[in-house]
Amino acid sequence: MSNSISYNERLLKIFAGVRCLNKDQLPRYLEGRLTDIEKHLVEQHLVDCDLCFDALQILHKEGQLEKYVRLSNGIQQYIRDSIKPVSQLQKMERYVRKAKKRESMLIYFWLVAFIAGGGALMYLMQQYNRNKPVMARPAAVPVVPAAAMAASPPPATDSQTLQTRPVTLASSTGAVTTPPATVTPPPPAANDSAKTAALKKAAEDSLARKAAAVAAARAADSLRKKAAAKDSVARHTVKKDTPVMAAATADKTEKPVKQDDNNTAGKEKAESSSNASKPAATKAAPSSSTVVDTDEYLYRAAMVYQQQGNLDEAISRYKRLTANTGRVGEMARYQMAVCYRSKGQTGKAKRMFKEVVRMDGTMKQAAQQALDNL
Amino acid sequence: MYQQLSNLSDKELIARARKLKDREAEGVLLERYSHLLVAICLPALKNNAGANAQTLFPSLLQRLSNGLKTQSIQKASEWVHQTARTYFAHPDKQIPYYPSREAREQLHTENRVEKAASNTIEKQTLITQIQQALAGLSTDDRYLVEQFYLENKTFADLAAQKGYTPD
Repeated sequence: MSNSISYNERLLKIFAGVRCLNKDQLPRYLEGRLTDIEKHLVEQHLVDCDLCFDALQILHKEGQLEKYVRLSNGIQQYIRDSIKPVSQLQKMERYVRKAKKRESMLIYFWLVAFIAGGGALMYLMQQYNRNKPVMARPAAVPVVPAAAMAASPPPATDSQTLQTRPVTLASSTGAVTTPPATVTPPPPAANDSAKTAALKKAAEDSLARKAAAVAAARAADSLRKKAAAKDSVARHTVKKDTPVMAAATADKTEKPVKQDDNNTAGKEKAESSSNASKPAATKAAPSSSTVVDTDEYLYRAAMVYQQQGNLDEAISRYKRLTANTGRVGEMARYQMAVCYRSKGQTGKAKRMFKEVVRMDGTMKQAAQQALDNL
Repeated sequence: MYQQLSNLSDKELIARARKLKDREAEGVLLERYSHLLVAICLPALKNNAGANAQTLFPSLLQRLSNGLKTQSIQKASEWVHQTARTYFAHPDKQIPYYPSREAREQLHTENRVEKAASNTIEKQTLITQIQQALAGLSTDDRYLVEQFYLENKTFADLAAQKGYTPD
């Protein structure tokens, strides 16, 4: 069986392609220096290949083996020489081209990257510039509250100075000028309403200032010109002014006690008539301790709320002040009652007014009146 | 690279030279047949006094190179042989290579046998065909073919056996 297979295989081998004789097989075949299998394969190939058969035939007949070897070596070298440099050149070219491409791509990349970076930078700058005000605002915003804070304390300091000023001014009687005039009003204000008092204050203030200024100017003029008539007139005006000043200074010495009474008296009237006028009245309210001071400020803040119409907030703020048993507490209660009344809660308003009456303070009369009206 | 290319078959080298424009593959292919080309050209060099090895081979190789790019080559040995012969017959003319009918049939059979290597049925049909063909031969021819192909006898042995002389 194996014999038959090998026989069949050999049959197929008839048509197996065999390569042409290579360079060292050819002379060896001619010299008969091939192995049996090799020789058989060569011969089998020679049957098919005309080229190999011709070559062998020619070499066998001509016998120019030396020339053949020389020429074949020469042609091989020639082929290698003609092919290799070209391929080497091609490789070099390809490499150079690739390198150039890479370089150009790199250049493009950096160019694009640079442009993109520049664009981004510009955009960021623009954004920054656009947002700068916004950024600055937060910085400015704290300033505004600070300014507000700075602005809001002044009333306090003003009031404090107002309160303290009379004393200082009273002590320094020599340098009495216009400022005292601002505080002088009490005498006329004692009888009139607070509004008229304020108006008069302003009027008197301005008048006094003008008079003083005019007097000073005229005095200077008169001194220079030494005109008798004018001088006398100037003296008259000065004389007129000076008594007032003197009176003012005289008043001030008694003021620390007097002013309080006057102010409170004015306040009672003002409160009974209108709430709006109260701040002015309360401004003058004297306070020794800081607790009372803060209570007064709270009270004033509540007043602001009340005037703005935010009654609920005002009430809640007044309520906090009810703990104060002093004058501020009484005022707070009174105002709370007023708020309740304006809100229409007459029951609560009555209770508050009654409380104020029970406290038997300065507001008793006003509270009683309000109760009667309710 | 050169070593790798020299291991490739003619067909692959031709394909490389044509499709990839691989000059190295072309060089390897021409180198493979260069010694046979030289052997063929020896009589021409000897007989033609004007023919010079320095001019003959480069022009012949150039023609082969051109033919490799344009012509479809099934069998490299036949192509080289035919190109060389046409070159000597008409040195000025570029006669394109065209494989003969027999060569094409032979190539077809070779391809068929190669493809049937793993196909048992195809193999069997081929074997029966060959056996039938052998049976169709004269006894003398059949003896020679069987001795040569199947018993691996050499030409010299067979010639001596039959009393043939190389003339």
